[in-house]
Formats: sequence, structure tokens, C-alpha cells
Amino acid sequence: MSTEASAADFLKAAQQVEIQGLKLELIVKGEGAPLLFLHGMDGVEGCSRIIDLLARDFTVYAPSHPGFGASELPRAFSTIDDLAYFYLDLLDHFDLRNVTVVGFSLGGWIAAEILVKDSSRISRLVLGAPLGLRTAERRGRQVADIFMLSPKEVAAAMQVSSSSDKPLAELPESMLERIARNAEAVCLFGWSPYLYNPKLHLRLHRIKVPTVLLWGEQDRLAPLDYARSFVAGLGQARLETLDACGHRIYVDCPEAAAARIVNFA
Amino acid sequence: MKVWQFSEQAYHPAFDVPGSMRVTLSAAHCDPAVAGTLLNRYLDEYVLADELGFGLMVNEHHSAATCMSTSCMTTLAILARQTRKARLLALGIPIANRSNPIRVAEEIAMVDVLSGGRLEVGMVKGAAYEVFMSNRLPARFSDRFWEAHELIMEALRNTGDNFSWDSENYHYRAVSLWPRPLQQPTPPVWMTSSSAFSSVEHARLDYTCATFLSGAVARAVFEGYRKAYLEAHGRPAPEKRLAYLGVVATAGDRKTAFERAEQMKGYFTTAARLDVQFRNPPGFNPVKANVKMMQAGPNAVRPRLRSGAPLPADPSIEQYIDAGLMFVGTPDEVYEQLKRFYVDVGGFGNLLMMGQAGTLSHADTADNLTLFAKEVMPRLETLSLDAPNVHYEAFA
Repeated sequence: MSTEASAADFLKAAQQVEIQGLKLELIVKGEGAPLLFLHGMDGVEGCSRIIDLLARDFTVYAPSHPGFGASELPRAFSTIDDLAYFYLDLLDHFDLRNVTVVGFSLGGWIAAEILVKDSSRISRLVLGAPLGLRTAERRGRQVADIFMLSPKEVAAAMQVSSSSDKPLAELPESMLERIARNAEAVCLFGWSPYLYNPKLHLRLHRIKVPTVLLWGEQDRLAPLDYARSFVAGLGQARLETLDACGHRIYVDCPEAAAARIVNFA
Repeated sequence: MKVWQFSEQAYHPAFDVPGSMRVTLSAAHCDPAVAGTLLNRYLDEYVLADELGFGLMVNEHHSAATCMSTSCMTTLAILARQTRKARLLALGIPIANRSNPIRVAEEIAMVDVLSGGRLEVGMVKGAAYEVFMSNRLPARFSDRFWEAHELIMEALRNTGDNFSWDSENYHYRAVSLWPRPLQQPTPPVWMTSSSAFSSVEHARLDYTCATFLSGAVARAVFEGYRKAYLEAHGRPAPEKRLAYLGVVATAGDRKTAFERAEQMKGYFTTAARLDVQFRNPPGFNPVKANVKMMQAGPNAVRPRLRSGAPLPADPSIEQYIDAGLMFVGTPDEVYEQLKRFYVDVGGFGNLLMMGQAGTLSHADTADNLTLFAKEVMPRLETLSLDAPNVHYEAFA
């Protein structure tokens, strides 16, 4: 099955829920302890494989972040903080307890911003190549600037597995709209400072729940070096690396990543 | 019709450097002594244009060999002193890329008083890739544009008490414009448009609406403007509220004019040299527009020939003429081409004339401007849709 077809299939399970007046696209899947899954820059559809794997052991709550996919973007939302507070409302809304929070890339940043605010409903945290800490300092850059790269270069920086080179024009309009919304939302939340919150490093110590950091050894967007600032800031976190794996852990090695998450929880 | 001289003031010696001419071109390719000589030369041409009866239009871009004017108002501050007659048009100031709109208002007011009230102010969204230099957020760009516009206009026309300002992006304790503009309540305002939709707001605000090198699209832009203007103001839009920008190459004989056009063509070929990721940053355009662009592919924004076919990748001068982007030939031929275009788009009152572009030399530019002013400009002054020798002719 092609990637596009599987994405469209995957999204059939999505429902619209309203939380604090915001219409959210949400996939709820599987049985077991609650797991909040926070997707990366390519939307929830990019994570379909790992969500399906996790649904074998958890009740997975996988929203499209406000502004992504088919989730509304309130005009007042402009920072990752807005998303973090919204997800605290989501945990209240479903009255979830002992939640495992899993976030990849941009979603990892959101996860960290949630936990530094309130972790009372959360028992474990998995950050897969999270962003959110300083990505550059003066003339030095740690995280590649996707806005300065061509689409081909971005694809190469994101994953080690080959990506689809199908012309965009051949995709259905609904998928193109998701692509456009996802890109715009990444820009809104991550344009400047580039994909980080200058205050997050001061607050990371507030995360006390057991935490695992997953990192692809071939991550060319946020190289393994970048993980060190998270390890230092989180104190008790364990760093686990994945071989033959780039930034899109959920695309390059969903099975291995899902197995680590299941073992950890 | 009023005619305005315009040059992008290119650093053309860099045109031979391979790759992009904007955003990423290394400053190492700029010899500042050469840049100084060229900028002075372009200013000389503006001074000549003033003497010949042109209005003067200045623009700005950043990190580009194609345009060394990095500030409309800096260039116009010089021309305010060096010219005596010409209206001075900034087209325009990319206000949503500026972090400080009050600074923009201050510069407008200063040039207006310096020039004795000859300033006209274009507030523009500017090219999408400029956000890579300003680093201002591409998403919600349009909202920020209108927010900055409102603040600048409030500052320019304020003659009462100082005021404080607080909006999403801008916060000021006390706005007090020293000096304030000479033209009351503000200098005339211009905006740019490339669709019937975007010209509607300009019409409502009674601003002059300019469209650049858009060929047949100019017709839709002007129609949208006229319709909205009539609805908003209860009277037809005056022609002076509409402007079209095109490249003009004239000479005593056709062969020389075409040779000049070949030099000026360098403007088009270098402006197009920009890496793909800078053309349309995410959020700069609405989602619906981005979906359409993805569906249409790379040919979507090509200008059209009169036949309706897209302008080919490396067009001939004849094809540029056909598409309404260039007007080339003897003064008679240039007049006939301009008249045809004028009629095709339903009339307009301002020709923003690129009288210098690409690698066109100073001598050729001076001759181009002089001949145009003498032979074509007087005839354009009386151009009218009501003239008996003019008949309606639609684009195919």
C-alpha cells in the first residue's frame, strides 16, 4: 500500500472533538493504559505506523495539534505554550490519569512544555528527538534550518529511508490542504526563535517523571550532539539511541521505537 | 497618463556569478567601489528623468544583486534634495517586514517635508522571500501588514494629542511625529496588487493600485478595483488611481531599440534566479492559494501571451512585448504598443516605466529616457478610452 493511501486510510479513524471551544481532530485507538501521542512536523498522518503499533498495548490518544491536519487554529494561538496548555485541558477533558506521554520532534517539544507546567496526570515521558532547546548560538547552528533548505534537502535531513518523490499535484486536494496547513503551523510555532523556547532550559528540571530520550544515530536535522542538552537539563532521563535511524524515528524504525516505549512503560 | 522612471539599481557585474541572485548570494561578490559608482549613476539617471518630466519611482530589496536600493526612503531622501519638480514615489516600503512602523512614519514625514510635499508612499507586502532577511513571521503576514498600515496612517495624520498604541505586534507609549508630513492629512498612498481580489481593499481606501509586469492579469486587477471603487465611493475610479509597471526600450531605429531590450531582459532572467524554498515560505500565502499552487505546479504563475499560452521559459523580445511586459521599438511603435495595452486593460493613469533595467548602460538609458520624454510622453498625456481612434480589443 502506498504511503498516501495508508495515510488516507489511517485518517478515516479520526474524530472531531471539541475541547475548550476548539475543534480538534483526534484519533483514539487500541486498549490499555492511556498514551498521549504528540506528532512531529509532518502531522499525525506521518506517524500512522507507530501509532498503530502502540495501539496494541495502549489506548492511544493521537490528536492533530491545533493548526495541523483538520484541527482548528484559534487566532490567539501563536506559541508552543498555547499548545501545551491546550493539551493540559485535553487531559482534564478525558480525565486521563497515569498517562504515558510520547512526543516526537516538534511533538517532543510540546511534551516537554506540558510537563514543566503540570505533570499531575502523567506518569512517564518518552521524547523522540525532541526540539525546543536552543537550536543555534551566535554563528553556530546545531539544528539544521529547514526553512533554508530545498524540499529535497529537507527530505534527506529528516529520514534515512527513501521518501516519496511523487509530484504533489497528484495528491488529492484534502491531503494537499493538510500539507499546506502543517507547513504553515510549523512556521507559526517554529519560525523564530527557530524551533525553540529560550526559557525551556530553565524549566526542564521540573520534569520529575521517569523519562526516556530516543534518538536516531543518523539524525541529520538534530544530530545526536543536540540530545546532550536534554540529558543535562532533564537530570534523570535515559538516552537510548537507534541505529539506521534519522530524525523521523517513527518513519525510519517504528517497530524498534514502539518496542522501547512498551518496555519502558 | 503620467509616466514614472524606475530602475531596480542592479549590481549587474554579479549577474555572471552562477546560482541564485537573491537571499543566498554571498556579499563577497560585491565590490563596494563598483556599487558606489553604479548607485551614483542610477541617481544621475533619476535626476535626468526629473528634468525630462518623469515622476520618479524607487523600490527596495534586500540581499540581492538585482537591486541595491535597500531603503526606499534613503534613496528618496537624496532625490528630495537633488530634484525640484518630480513627484517621488516609494513603491514600496515593505511595512510588514519592518519591526518599527513608527520609524517608517518618521522617514515618510521627513522626506515629505524635505521635498516640499512631493512624496507618494507605497506600502507593500513585498516579495515573499524578503521574510528570510527581515526574519519576520511569514504566517499571518497579511494581518501584520494591515496592523502596521493602520498605525503608520494614525501617526501620519495625527495633529492632536500624542497617543499610545497597543496591538498584537506593536506597542508604543507615546507616538509623536517630529516632523509631521507636509501633505495633509497624509502623502498619497499606493499599494500593489496581482489579483482582482487584492485590489478591492485598495479601492475602498481610495489608494492608487499598481500592478507589476502582470500582463493580461492587469485587466482583472483593474476591473476588480473599478468595481469595488464604484461600490465604495459611488463614482467611477479615476484613471490616476491605476498604475502599470512595464519595461520600455525605445530608440531612433527598431534595431537599436531591440538591442537595448536585450540588455534590459537581464532584469527578467536574473530576477527569476532564486532557490525554490525561498519563493513561497509557508504561511505567506493562504492555505487555499498554496493548495492551488501545488496542484498547478511550476507553470502556475507564468505571465500569459495574448493567445493565452504561458510565456515560455526563455522568451524572445517579441514574446515579452506580446505578453505586455515590454514595450520596444521606435517611439511610434512603443506608443502603439502602450495604446493597445492601455485599451486591453481598460485604461490606467500611471505608467511605471523601467527605463533602465538589467545591464543597460548609462548612455543608452539617458537616450532611452530622453527620446521617450520627447516623442512618446506627450502623446500618452492625451491617451483616453474615449478617443475616436481607439477601439476595444480583448485579450484572447
